Amino acid sequence: MSDLIGLQTLSEKPTRLDQSQLKLNFSEAAVSQLEEIKSHYPSEKAAILPALWIAQREYGGFLSSEAIAEVAHRLHRAYAEVEGVATFYSMYNTRHKPGKHKLEVCTCLSCHVNGAYRILDLIEKKLGIRPNETTEDGLFTLEEVECLNACDRAVVMQVGDSYYGPLTESLLDTIIADLKSRTESTVIQMADEIVKVHLPESAV
Amino acid sequence: MAAEMMGVDMVTILVDDIELQVPKGELIVESVKRLGIEIPIFCYHPRMKPVGMCRMCLVETGTKQPDGTIRKMPKPQASCTLPASEGLAIYTQTPQIIQDRKGVLEFLLINHPLDCPICDRGGECPLQNNTLFYGPSTSRHIEFKRHAPKAIPLSEHVTLDLERCIQCGRCVRFTEEISGDGQLAFRFRGASMQPSTFALSAFESKFSGNTIEICPVGALTSSQSRFRARPWDLESSAGVCTLCSCGCNVWFDHRIGKLVRVNGRTNNAVNEEWTCDQGKFGHDYYNHNERQASVFIRTSARLESTSWTVGLGEIVTKLKSTGTSAGFLLGPKISNEAGFLACRAATALGSRQVAGIDSRVELGANFEVPADSLLSLEQAKVIVSVGPSLADTLPIVYLRVRKAASQKGAKVISIHSSPTELDEFAFLSLCHKPGTLSLLIQGLDGSLALEEVALQTGVSAQALKEAKTVLEGQGVSFIATNQVAHTEGSAALSDLRRLAKKLEANWNHFCETASGFASLASCSGLGMELQSPESILKKCLSGDIKFLWLVDFDPFELVKDRELVKQALEEVEFLVVQSAIASEASHYASVVLPQSLPAEGGGSFTNLDGQLQNFDAFLPKIGMARADWQIFAELLSRMDLAAGMFSRQDILQMAAKDVPYFKEALTGKQDHQPQPSGAGV
Ligand code: SF4
Ligand code: FES
Ligand code: FES
Repeated sequence: MSDLIGLQTLSEKPTRLDQSQLKLNFSEAAVSQLEEIKSHYPSEKAAILPALWIAQREYGGFLSSEAIAEVAHRLHRAYAEVEGVATFYSMYNTRHKPGKHKLEVCTCLSCHVNGAYRILDLIEKKLGIRPNETTEDGLFTLEEVECLNACDRAVVMQVGDSYYGPLTESLLDTIIADLKSRTESTVIQMADEIVKVHLPESAV
Repeated sequence: MAAEMMGVDMVTILVDDIELQVPKGELIVESVKRLGIEIPIFCYHPRMKPVGMCRMCLVETGTKQPDGTIRKMPKPQASCTLPASEGLAIYTQTPQIIQDRKGVLEFLLINHPLDCPICDRGGECPLQNNTLFYGPSTSRHIEFKRHAPKAIPLSEHVTLDLERCIQCGRCVRFTEEISGDGQLAFRFRGASMQPSTFALSAFESKFSGNTIEICPVGALTSSQSRFRARPWDLESSAGVCTLCSCGCNVWFDHRIGKLVRVNGRTNNAVNEEWTCDQGKFGHDYYNHNERQASVFIRTSARLESTSWTVGLGEIVTKLKSTGTSAGFLLGPKISNEAGFLACRAATALGSRQVAGIDSRVELGANFEVPADSLLSLEQAKVIVSVGPSLADTLPIVYLRVRKAASQKGAKVISIHSSPTELDEFAFLSLCHKPGTLSLLIQGLDGSLALEEVALQTGVSAQALKEAKTVLEGQGVSFIATNQVAHTEGSAALSDLRRLAKKLEANWNHFCETASGFASLASCSGLGMELQSPESILKKCLSGDIKFLWLVDFDPFELVKDRELVKQALEEVEFLVVQSAIASEASHYASVVLPQSLPAEGGGSFTNLDGQLQNFDAFLPKIGMARADWQIFAELLSRMDLAAGMFSRQDILQMAAKDVPYFKEALTGKQDHQPQPSGAGV
């Protein structure tokens, strides 16, 4: 029947990863961090969020199906459940693989009236990408986000865990130049910072 | 009240100003049912934990003040997550609530495509019904709606129409709480939220069909019966699934004499309201295009169609000469009546050669009524399941075991040689090397040192020790089927039984086929033993059996040794193939008898815990086909072996004289009253 309607047929779907097919990519350090985090909670389920941050870091800033499967496997949860959690939060990158730096421009009310879309246009021109796209060199991804809770600095942009604002063209140029000069990916850096928040000083 | 006697506190609540005594903590959505008041719901399901996701069940609440007046809370509350407490006042009919319900429904309909005219659920859709009774009569919505693909195949059985989903989470919770496979989850959030599988992989569940039934809209549809009929064109008749021994109560929904779909029918003593996918989607054979429609008789090398009189006449003549060497193979789905009459024929003819899948002779086990019923299994403290996947062989037993474990805290010990679904929630999984079950049992009953057993079976000594301690406790139930003997040898099965008896545990050796319990009971009532199909086939080879009757038994499918089947069928002098669907065996037949299926011919069926369930016919028979019991009733009266069998009831009465089980079943348990199918909870 579904063939008739001509949409996806079953054979095109990936089958669920078998445990034996799982490729586990967590580094040793990541595994011990996860163990530490698990010990803070009464159940493994409670550790899904921090575990996803570890995965986001370990998998280069993107939570692919494999990354999610690994978290589910390590926490003994159903794959679908962990995927549901991961896709719920927009700070986990599940929809598309981000570049080295993710520019998240707020277009919510305060920023909007202060010209957020003008800024967005500027960035689009400078980098040659539209929102949700990544530059060809894999450096920048542009995203439109809702209120960043920094309306006093509208128009605000978040890159990694830093906020920039109010944005002007010259400020933008400096930010972009600065980001280009960095070796570390701000996406991964941020994931790492968040993982560290969950760990006691001694374990960091 | 019963609840009071069991030590549950009762509280007094006020529902629409009527005083009502209810157990403390009961959900208000349930309490009001005691007064016959309906609160509309979507996400709440009585068999699952409440989540309060849809807000359809809003009620106004208040509390009694010292001066006797009621002080209302300013905001409505979801009654599906509201437990009853002393002095709580509930209002279900106030203008405020009527307004609130309209609001909730308006929100739910914002993104709903309203394609009811082509929707499979249209006519039995809770969303349609609630909108009709409680919703706004017109839409104020002029904006664009959210769109999504109309047919996303989640699995070969379930197709998702995402646009229609109202995000109630019933399907998701079903896979988490009931079937336990955790296959579905909500991905993304807000308007883009979708119930789906991990990475859109196939929905691999043995119980996926239930999600179609509990979906309160037409979002989850059956790939099999999509767009085949409108619900109001379907007639629902109460039936029993005969695909395994669980005996699930189902509704057969049919149209113009054709079966369209199968839905679960509520019976708390059997399947609650669930079905397995096999039962829900496996009844397609009713519409098989090779249904047997006439009697055939072999003339020289060809099968020629003939009448019942000629066909049965030929059989009677043959039986008169070879009666003492006649054998009967009882199919897995035949009715109690047919099973009994076949056994009766075998005794009357003096051959006593009857076989079925659930035979026990070669396994060294005798037929024993299982100690537990599906209901009492829920109360067990420890459940030991032995053998291959329970979810495959006895899906409904699996659901009970899971329920006992997840809701009642039973400890499940799963003993097997390859991983099964039980492992996910089992207290202990003892995965032993194939062929070492006997050793493992010896370890558990203390006749072998645990270290030695651990070494041989590959199960850790620690786990064995733990199992041993748990088994020594109270309330232990063992579950096994013939599969144990097939995979581990019959000695292992008897060892297992001995262990259970030694521990004074409940021993449940369940049948696997719908006809198993009754065939075993009939045989033992008539002083015979149900043999294995292989042994009968071997007797055909050796010439001990000259006349073989396949009673809806397809040996090519049910017996592993194909060569044996072929030779036996060639060797035997006279072969009667009685079947509903043309099968390979008909090529060897001397006479082919067309048999109708239960929905066409009726029959009673006994499930694995001994409940006799009547299944009355409602579909027309195909061609010349007759019910399995009619065929045997006629045979027996033609041969003057029995008389006075005009209805199924007569046969059961007759069976009650010979077989103690039937006597009990006829005087004891009652078949429960069916209610019409369709949208309900
Ligand atoms: S598909 Fe049906 S059952 Fe599942 S969330 Fe949507 S409306 Fe509810
Ligand atoms: S609207 Fe942009 S930070 Fe609040
Ligand atoms: S919120 Fe109560 S039924 Fe959905």
